[in-house]
Amino acid sequence: MITEKEILLAKHCISFATASGASGARVSLSKSVMDSCTMFNGKLDKVTHAADRSIYLYLFVDGRYGTFSTNRLEKEGLEDFILKAIDMVRMLGEDKDRTLPDPSRTATDAKGGKELGLYDERYEASDSESRLKKAEAFSIFGKVAEEGFSLISEECEYSESSEDNYVTDSQGFEGRHTETCFSCFSEMTIQDAEGNKYSGFWWESSFSADGIDADGFGAKALERAVRQIGPKPRRSGHYKMVVDSSVASRLVSPIISALNAASIQQKMSFLEDTVGKQVFPEGLTLMDLARTPGKNGSRMFDTEGIATKDAPVIEKGVVKQYFTSTYIGNKMGIQPTVEDISRPCLMPFIKGEDLSNKEKEVSLKDILRLCGNGILVTGFNGGNCNPVTGDFSFGIEGFAFKNGKTLHPVREMLITGNLMELWSNFLAAGSDSRASVRWQIPTLAFENVSFSA
Amino acid sequence: MNDIRFYLDLFNTTVPELEKTAATALRRGGDYADLYFEYTSYYNLILKDGAVTSGGFHTDYGVGIRVLKGEKTGYAYSENLELAEMLKAADAASAIASCESDGRVYSKVAECRPDFYPMANDWRKTEASTFLPFLTSLEQEITAKDSRIVKVIARLAYSVSDIMMYNSLGELTVDTRPMGSLSVSIVFHQNGKTENKSVSRSFRIGSEFICPALAAEIAEEAVKGIDERFDARRPKGGQMSVVMGAGASGILLHEAMGHAFEADFNRKGQSIFSDKLGKQVCPKGVNVVDDGTVLSNRGAVNYDDEGVPGQKTYMVEDGVLKSYLHDRISAAWYGVAPTGNGRRESFRYNPIPRMRATYMESGTADPQGIIASVKNGVYVDEFSNGQVKIGEGDFTFFVKSGFLIEDGRLTMPIKDINIIGNGPQALADIVAVGNDLKIDNGTWTCGKEQSVAVSCGMPTVLISNLTVGGE
Repeated sequence: MITEKEILLAKHCISFATASGASGARVSLSKSVMDSCTMFNGKLDKVTHAADRSIYLYLFVDGRYGTFSTNRLEKEGLEDFILKAIDMVRMLGEDKDRTLPDPSRTATDAKGGKELGLYDERYEASDSESRLKKAEAFSIFGKVAEEGFSLISEECEYSESSEDNYVTDSQGFEGRHTETCFSCFSEMTIQDAEGNKYSGFWWESSFSADGIDADGFGAKALERAVRQIGPKPRRSGHYKMVVDSSVASRLVSPIISALNAASIQQKMSFLEDTVGKQVFPEGLTLMDLARTPGKNGSRMFDTEGIATKDAPVIEKGVVKQYFTSTYIGNKMGIQPTVEDISRPCLMPFIKGEDLSNKEKEVSLKDILRLCGNGILVTGFNGGNCNPVTGDFSFGIEGFAFKNGKTLHPVREMLITGNLMELWSNFLAAGSDSRASVRWQIPTLAFENVSFSA
Repeated sequence: MNDIRFYLDLFNTTVPELEKTAATALRRGGDYADLYFEYTSYYNLILKDGAVTSGGFHTDYGVGIRVLKGEKTGYAYSENLELAEMLKAADAASAIASCESDGRVYSKVAECRPDFYPMANDWRKTEASTFLPFLTSLEQEITAKDSRIVKVIARLAYSVSDIMMYNSLGELTVDTRPMGSLSVSIVFHQNGKTENKSVSRSFRIGSEFICPALAAEIAEEAVKGIDERFDARRPKGGQMSVVMGAGASGILLHEAMGHAFEADFNRKGQSIFSDKLGKQVCPKGVNVVDDGTVLSNRGAVNYDDEGVPGQKTYMVEDGVLKSYLHDRISAAWYGVAPTGNGRRESFRYNPIPRMRATYMESGTADPQGIIASVKNGVYVDEFSNGQVKIGEGDFTFFVKSGFLIEDGRLTMPIKDINIIGNGPQALADIVAVGNDLKIDNGTWTCGKEQSVAVSCGMPTVLISNLTVGGE
């Protein structure tokens, strides 16, 4: 954890920078510790201990701006570092739009770092022995009934970490964010009777020491490998597509990128000039639920110290905001918001049904049944989305399904199209987003998607 | 010895302290221990909207300590190089030796002092301000070439890393690694349509990298093919012949075989090529290399991050799988010499087998003749990213631009499509190899667990059957 002495050092950096010619400065001091145990085929294969610290300086000098960082935190060395940094900023081009944010927009309620309840005190009682026991509990090597396949390898990594970030600026802002993370990743490689190999993985993470459960964990990774046995070819064509919640964020992240005002200012966005306009179907509502306590990704302030808030990003298909930093807001002459989304949450939807007043849970099963026939995507293999046009092409793997039931695995397939067109064919969103991830994107369904095979 | 003194002083340590730290790392019975010291200075300058208005520098300093017991790894690092802190990290890494494991003998490697990246002008001795006029004139040179340009972003990033490696065999190795990278992103506007293009160059080289010839080359490439890009469409998707243009098509080798040839995956039985050593995996006459010795190349290594000298490694020779890519662990496991592929992102990571510059050697076919031999297919020559599934061998790469091939001629421009295939099948489906090997000098970065700088290259190659994304 960051000590009082280190906080004083961060404050000293601010006063030293302003005394040395900076008109404004922000300092972000971070410390983190991570310990992990990796099991290979049921035996300990790797132990890692990592302890990081760094100081990041944002300097505003004579209408100019630069960013600097170092992991050498001795006071004298830092002063020399700041002097050199100020010299470098002075040589850059002038940009009057570079300013610290309006202080009234910065968070005032995040001084302790634990406001969001993301720090589990039990982390401090953990030691290498308890971590090893947990890693062993997550491993299922040697306990698997190998029917119709043989298990080639199991790799299972259990890790525990803590992060502490303190931010202060020359306008008096102070904010702190601390969190712990307990996570596990398991990957299984299997071989079928014909000698074909398949791999499957699973992962969970939580701020809470008891937030991830060893029961069924390895089995889930194994199941994801085994169910790929026996893929069958599928013809190219247009199908309904259901995208599993474990990978659905892939179809949302290009939208978030395109709503960043920095991309729009540089003409690198397919969502230019869309705020206040209905450009998506009414069924799409995407919230930024930044301040939900106890949830991965929640934060009280962004990199600039701006107070986050729970707010719609897209509401019933209407774009409600761009993510706009102080600099880009000044440059574009628009109201700044926050620099980026914290915790995207996509709301449940079924085309033709009103879910607004219902507590109804919408599962993958429900969505498969709703769609009838098509392709269930459970993984993406490469691909990209053009940020300027929204044109995309992704490799996929998954299953053909008929009458709401999965038939057989498919692989070496591609989906190709335009992201706006894809979303115009939006059919459904579940209520099954994974608790352990920052991006709360549930199972999604679309119609008329172009598959190549 | 003067060299060594510089690095010992930089890291404020002595040979006896190195010996003591290595001994501490082995105190619980490890077979081998190594120390990796790093001091990196990284600078960046960004031109946007016609001026260089942001930039900065960043320093990273620390030591990573690794202990091996058999193939098992204990790893810890310290950002404080006081002896007491290094000993703490050594003690944490030594914990791995407490576990049950068969021992392994790790051996010394042959000594040599290669110099694959001479630095005429040290970046650290050149004022950053001297690069500002270059970036500004580069932007002007680019915008003067095409009136449709509406935005140019130019990023210059350069770094120098001083590295010192010591291991329990007594080997002490030092290296200074420069890297200069220039990336330009351009946005074009025409009749209500917008297109973008990215161009980059990256070398292990000093500040002599920044010169008028570089600006001219980047500007030329920045506008090349833009008319076609505005006209480009998606092809009809499906399986077809694919002609990989010379240069950046090396991404195929990186994804389809390079990763699957990394020996950690093979040692663990996870790769689709695990049982194919010594077997024919490509048609006869095909040679594929992973090379750390290409002068000033982004993937060049005087020594890898385990102190093993950089080498040129034939993975495939005359179509036969000759060698995996080894770090010290896999080399000891297979009973072969390490190939200099033990690499890491920084002192925060333990080394693992990684590629360097991966390319296919030239064949004998005429590139135009290769295109002429295809009745229906696609020609692709510009890419952005790729991925592979090691066990299944399924790989993909994303094509930024290319052409349809109809009756042996390049016809409609195409763009933004993904191509997917299976590694062993794609290699077996190589039909022709051109005589025009070209190494691509873009900012290729490989992301297997950690980010490391690589490069790739290829002559024009015809693959008879890959799946192409399309409408």
